[in-house]
Amino acid sequence: MKKMALAILLLAGCAPEHDGTALIETANPDAVQLDGHQDGLAEKIKKEADSTESIYDTAVVKGKKELLVAYKVRHLDRFKMKDIEKDLTKRIEKITGKDVDVVVSSDYKIFLEAVRLKEDMEADLMSEKEADKRLSEIIKLKKEMT
Amino acid sequence: MDPDRYKKLASKYEAKRPVLQNCIRAFWTGGLICVIGQAVSYFFIFFFDFTEQTVGNPTVAFMVFLSMLLTGFGIYDRLGQFAGAGSAVPVTGFGNAVISAAIEHRTEGFVLGVGGNMFKLAGSVILFGVFSAFIVALIKSLF
Repeated sequence: MKKMALAILLLAGCAPEHDGTALIETANPDAVQLDGHQDGLAEKIKKEADSTESIYDTAVVKGKKELLVAYKVRHLDRFKMKDIEKDLTKRIEKITGKDVDVVVSSDYKIFLEAVRLKEDMEADLMSEKEADKRLSEIIKLKKEMT
Repeated sequence: MDPDRYKKLASKYEAKRPVLQNCIRAFWTGGLICVIGQAVSYFFIFFFDFTEQTVGNPTVAFMVFLSMLLTGFGIYDRLGQFAGAGSAVPVTGFGNAVISAAIEHRTEGFVLGVGGNMFKLAGSVILFGVFSAFIVALIKSLF
């Protein structure tokens, strides 16, 4: 038992540096706007989502037609996930209007993919068109049920 | 002898069950199995295209398969003796129930032995699982 505890302790030291994507950590990625406009809409929406008390981390990606808001919910507030989602969607739709297809998600995978998309864009690994296509794929992933 | 008198007499010589110790063991072992399950689900989310919504199926399949392997190697039986309900209640207990019955009846042949007795224990879990799922789905569709 002691040997096992020691092994776990030693292995814990091998953990990589914080990459900001772990579930309990705050990654706080910058908002990404892929529609070519520089009106700061994505940033505005990120601020709006961040102002929610139950949410502690958000990733916003604004595509040509779709807007993705992925967020992490504080542990004890996870009991009211549906209310948080409903309220956030309402507030965001007030800002964007009805032309934009708003997709909000508390799913960790969606958050992870939104952060990966932002990082790939920063590293010039994909064009804006490719990024918009990947955004659609992420949203499709969100709609999968089984 | 009168059954009540026999019970009283027998209780004098019975070893006391360490209930608290058993509960603590079950709590920690069951919790550890759940932590492993959570780690597996994060693995699937991180490296494959599974979301929190869809990751349940592969995680359960993996955990059941893992417990089946461990039962085959004789490790899960020892864990079961140590942790009791802590190892039987999680979904891994289902894999253990299937494989241990199959191993027990292996000598009676593949069809009537393994095939006929494999779900001797797990069959009731499947039956009541399906039945309760049906009832819940019925309630959900009606209201």
